[in-house]
Amino acid sequence: MSKALVLVVDDEPQILRALQTNLRGAGYEVETASTAEAALASAAMRPPDAVILDLVLPDGSGIGVCRELRSWSDAPVLVLSVVGDEAEKVAALDAGADDYVQKPFGIDELLARLRALLRRAGPSTEPVLEIGEVVIDLEKHLVTVGGRHVSLTPNEFELLRVLAQNEGKLMTHPAILREVWGPAYGAESHYLHVYISQLRRKLEPDPARPRYLLTEPGAGYRLVNPVAPS
Amino acid sequence: MTGAIFGLKTVAPVLGLAILYLLAVLPVAVLYGLGYALAVSIASMLAFNFFFLPPLHTLALTDSENWVALAVFVVTAVVVSELATRARRRAFAAAEADTLRRSDAAKTAVLHAVSHDLRSPLTAIRAAGEGLESGSLQLGESDRAALLETIRLETARLERLVANLVDLSRLEAGAAPAQRELWPVDELVSRALDALGADAARVAVTLDGEAPLVRVDAAQLERVLANVLENALRFSSPSDPVELVVSSTGDDVLVRITDHGPGLETESLERIFEPFEHGRGGAEGTGLGLAIARGFAEANGCRLWAEPHPASGASFVLAMPSAAARPTLVR
Repeated sequence: MSKALVLVVDDEPQILRALQTNLRGAGYEVETASTAEAALASAAMRPPDAVILDLVLPDGSGIGVCRELRSWSDAPVLVLSVVGDEAEKVAALDAGADDYVQKPFGIDELLARLRALLRRAGPSTEPVLEIGEVVIDLEKHLVTVGGRHVSLTPNEFELLRVLAQNEGKLMTHPAILREVWGPAYGAESHYLHVYISQLRRKLEPDPARPRYLLTEPGAGYRLVNPVAPS
Repeated sequence: MTGAIFGLKTVAPVLGLAILYLLAVLPVAVLYGLGYALAVSIASMLAFNFFFLPPLHTLALTDSENWVALAVFVVTAVVVSELATRARRRAFAAAEADTLRRSDAAKTAVLHAVSHDLRSPLTAIRAAGEGLESGSLQLGESDRAALLETIRLETARLERLVANLVDLSRLEAGAAPAQRELWPVDELVSRALDALGADAARVAVTLDGEAPLVRVDAAQLERVLANVLENALRFSSPSDPVELVVSSTGDDVLVRITDHGPGLETESLERIFEPFEHGRGGAEGTGLGLAIARGFAEANGCRLWAEPHPASGASFVLAMPSAAARPTLVR
């Protein structure tokens, strides 16, 4: 199987170099670009399997690149954002980015996100989902944790289903709300916070230190397999 | 005023009573400046003329002595207000100079603390990096691992320092408006623990049975809890747990963080929340964490204070006003 091609866009040569080295070491082929223009040109010339995109570029914002790229490419986009700039991060997700990591990021985290993005299959359609100790039977509406039955309300079950079918992927607040509660609900993220905390109390061994239901501050939630090989 | 002076008419000569009108002019001159003082002195003069000077209840004047008295009265009022204005201007200038001087001192303190706190992790990272690079050193596998660990830990320290500085400058500039939303307190606690990294394992958490809700900016409250926890961990020996307990009083949701470190003197309970104060003798850290924690807490309508612990160590209490009803969403 040929290596997946990752386009890395960042104007900091040191960051570019570090990413390139690590990605090659992880078995990817790497193209680099340091401006918005070069990024779009490179993506048009050699369509990448995934894009890692810094939001601050000398000739414009990464958000613009993201939007442009989305109009003709399906390649997943992983955005590099600066800590504390929630608005920018949300704007990038709105513009079609699939996930983000915050600078300064850990390389393991970045590689894990990239792997999740490259698993291109859409939402899982398996009737029974197994994520770590959590087993979800979608037909029978049954959930067990470590073999122990857990009783969920219909809302909690639906929320868990949506997250589980998109295991490892960032699900934004509006995306979850719309899928669980319908198109009228896109901005009511506080309901979500409450349901997530209820789910954690039922599923997590230690709800104060969640291992399955992870918060992505300002953006959304992610259900991960805590025992998955990293 | 006129009524009160009228009562004194029988016991004091009429012209002497004019002086009493200055009691109205003086405070106005001192508090509101020349414009208002002039208006009040002219009004006073007219009222005095009307009610006290013959012919009574007219604004006409018969006695030339009264003219002179009135002129003196107005001039006095004007001079007093002018003097008061000047004094106020001088006081304002002095206060401004003082503010400037203090902010200069604060900047110097910031630069001093920051350059020290930047330099030590940089030194460690450089030494470790050069050690790894050097061909002449005989490094075993565990030596290399130790050097790499140093780089990782010191980098994390630098990240925290930069995050603290950004937070502080935003708070000082008023550029960190709280985006308050409804959050279960569980979520705030778990985010703070997540921010602490590996050290979070030393925190023993007791959540409230109900997951009470508060209306706060989650990112800012995460900083509050993480900074207080970091402080508690720094002053505890690695074998002692730091306890975090969530409870509700009805009006407030309380998060109490208790350590078993050296504790706090009564007189430093407030001082430790000042920027660049190194509370408990230790010079580790920038002395920014608690100042930022309190700044963010107050920006969210919460309170944060320290209490000496009866046995040993210290407790920090964060009180967040509890949000009323639990929302439900019907599908």
